[in-house]
Amino acid sequence: MAVTTAPGRTPRTGPAGPRPTRRRAGRARLGEGLAGYVFLSPWLIGLMGVTAIPMLLSLWLSFTDYDILTPLSEVRWVGLANYERMFTADPSYWHAVRVTLTFALIAVPLKLAAALGVALLLNRAWRGVGLFRSLFYLPSLLGGSVALAIVWVNMFNRDGAFNSFLALFGVEGLPWVSDPDWALETLMVLAIWQFGAPMVIFLAGLKQVPTELYEAAAVDGAGAWRRFRAVTLPMLSPVIFFNLVLETINGFQGFTAAFVLSNGTGGPVDSTLMYTLKLYISGFTDLEMGYASAMAWVFLVAIGVVTAVFFSTGRFWVHYSDGDDS
Amino acid sequence: MHPATSPTAGAPAGRHHRTPLTRRRLVRGLAAVALAVPLALGAAGCGDDDAGGDGGPVKLSVFWWGGEARAKLTEDALALYTKKHPDVTFEKTWQANQGYFDKLATLTAGGNPPDLFQIDDNYLAEYAGRSTTLDLGSYQDSGKLDVSKFPKSLLEYGVVDGKLAGVAAGENTQGLVYNKTLLQKNGLPEPTTGMSWEEHIAWAEQVAKKTKVPGTQDPSADYKALWVWLRQQGKDLYNGKELGFTAEDVTKWFELWKGARDRGATPKPDVIHEGNSSDITKQLVVTGKSATSWVWVNQMPDLKKNTKDELGVVAYPGDPSGQWARASMYWSVFKGSKHKDVAVDVINFLNNDPEAVALLGTDRGLPSNMDLRAKVSETATDPAMKQSIQVESDLAQKFGASPQVPIKGHSKVKSELVKAAENAQYGRATPAQAAEQFVTACKSAIA
Repeated sequence: MAVTTAPGRTPRTGPAGPRPTRRRAGRARLGEGLAGYVFLSPWLIGLMGVTAIPMLLSLWLSFTDYDILTPLSEVRWVGLANYERMFTADPSYWHAVRVTLTFALIAVPLKLAAALGVALLLNRAWRGVGLFRSLFYLPSLLGGSVALAIVWVNMFNRDGAFNSFLALFGVEGLPWVSDPDWALETLMVLAIWQFGAPMVIFLAGLKQVPTELYEAAAVDGAGAWRRFRAVTLPMLSPVIFFNLVLETINGFQGFTAAFVLSNGTGGPVDSTLMYTLKLYISGFTDLEMGYASAMAWVFLVAIGVVTAVFFSTGRFWVHYSDGDDS
Repeated sequence: MHPATSPTAGAPAGRHHRTPLTRRRLVRGLAAVALAVPLALGAAGCGDDDAGGDGGPVKLSVFWWGGEARAKLTEDALALYTKKHPDVTFEKTWQANQGYFDKLATLTAGGNPPDLFQIDDNYLAEYAGRSTTLDLGSYQDSGKLDVSKFPKSLLEYGVVDGKLAGVAAGENTQGLVYNKTLLQKNGLPEPTTGMSWEEHIAWAEQVAKKTKVPGTQDPSADYKALWVWLRQQGKDLYNGKELGFTAEDVTKWFELWKGARDRGATPKPDVIHEGNSSDITKQLVVTGKSATSWVWVNQMPDLKKNTKDELGVVAYPGDPSGQWARASMYWSVFKGSKHKDVAVDVINFLNNDPEAVALLGTDRGLPSNMDLRAKVSETATDPAMKQSIQVESDLAQKFGASPQVPIKGHSKVKSELVKAAENAQYGRATPAQAAEQFVTACKSAIA
């Protein structure tokens, strides 16, 4: 992957930067500004049409009883009823919140730990290390794919490959994916296994840690663990921070695998009823799109809050090595 | 979709003094982008389809669920229509049952629903109640839609709030499909129509002991089995806009099957869970994980394709008058369609044209037109099809009156039953707790 950088980038200004010539600078700038917007327009139109407008629409819908089948012109305004129902009258909503939190709290730290561990191993000048990097990255390329989820479900069936493997050691496996005590854990393992993307980012971060810091630490008599704690971790903290924020958001949004594993029901016995799946079921199966929209907005706010919390705590542990010469 | 390259792009590695602000900003910027990604997922498509007016050539969109065999038969029948009416061509879309109704709802929301679509009793009231379907009553009155050869109860099973919302594309009824080969090999008796539920469970236990294959799938999560059982107790699934049963009834139902599980007559809960899938290929009778499955009679030929063993089919246990002539699925017309008359004529054709009906066979159930049903039955060659026709014709003498079409909220009632029954199966709730949970959830679903 494109983890290599162009070292010693020449200081070139961005596309809208001023050109050397000064003649009729005002007009030129205007022209360039216009060109900028023209070039931006496909994205802008996409953003407005595909994201912004539907989003605002869904905000409005969250205060209505929209059921998909009824035309938009005939929906009824129900005020806060959807939100009220979500918080007070729908136990399965809170169940979905619990499932999602459990999933994120366990899968995200483990995934990051796996990513960092493997990144440390691969951050060496071995022969063929590039191949291993690609191999470890592969699972996350397959990312949210349905095919992968199907393979996973089959692997962890009662008579799947994983249990056959256990049988070699005389261990009788469980029906992992159809046991309500284990289905979510199976999904967590799948998520953790896809640690390639944060791993690549960690690798890139590791490359940026100045080697002289390690050399200095070694001269001072620091061992490997000490160097990791005192040099690697602080120097890597911005990247850890980035991965943490990104993966937490990803973790909250887990959908595909849960959908495939449960045939879109969140089963067995709601054990894989992730928030987004509950939202989907409400909107498309139960035809309560207004309610689903309300759920989506609460979700957005919740993710925003979690992210804000990360950012506000970040100042205590994220080390940007700027300001004072550290 | 990670921006995997990003952190490196900000600053070169090694000796250079890092440009600190850039880097901090970069990390934050990336996080902001990441935050924006979920928003992009909220998008919904809109579209408007412009079709020609009256007269001229008509392109009619048709949407149905089913397998490849059904697609082939349906396409042939529609091609026949085009042959007879060269002005009319079809835009055909079909897919598996899973996800079909999600798609149909989305198409409707996008203002782009098919002119003619297949629907079943799980959703008919949802769509008809929101005036998405065309009331076909006037076409029936004017004779453009000929339903005179339909059994009365089958026709009425398409009426919601006094409007003819769908025309039965075929008739079916509940069927208990069993593995004949397995039973014969072990010298075990075959189940018969009219066995009591207790007898069925005892039989299943006997099968399990002898063959090591559990005798019956546990149908406690299956609404159609619960429905038949309720009707046999003088209850029903719905009564007007209310539930037709109480928590006590459901407790008894769950207890009946808890007993069966305790006796080893059924598979283990995780296998039961697998069999609760609506997917034909996962039915336990074809995957070999139980000797019987609870299905619809017209699914026999499809089941047969998935196994080498011989299959047999009988009615569900108990008095067969608990069963009824059910519209296996309907054809409905979108109310806002620009080609309503043509769409209705196509429905008429698919149900009443001898050639078309012969082509379609019993794939969607027994033909609704009784005259043509007789013909199809005479000429059927596929043994599985023959058998399902045979069983259903026998049962037709014993059927009870049709219940009302399931009401708005029914799809949720179905999924709540699965949840409650599985809670009991996995031992996470007693039958009484599960029943209580189910009834409470139902009440809010249909409110």
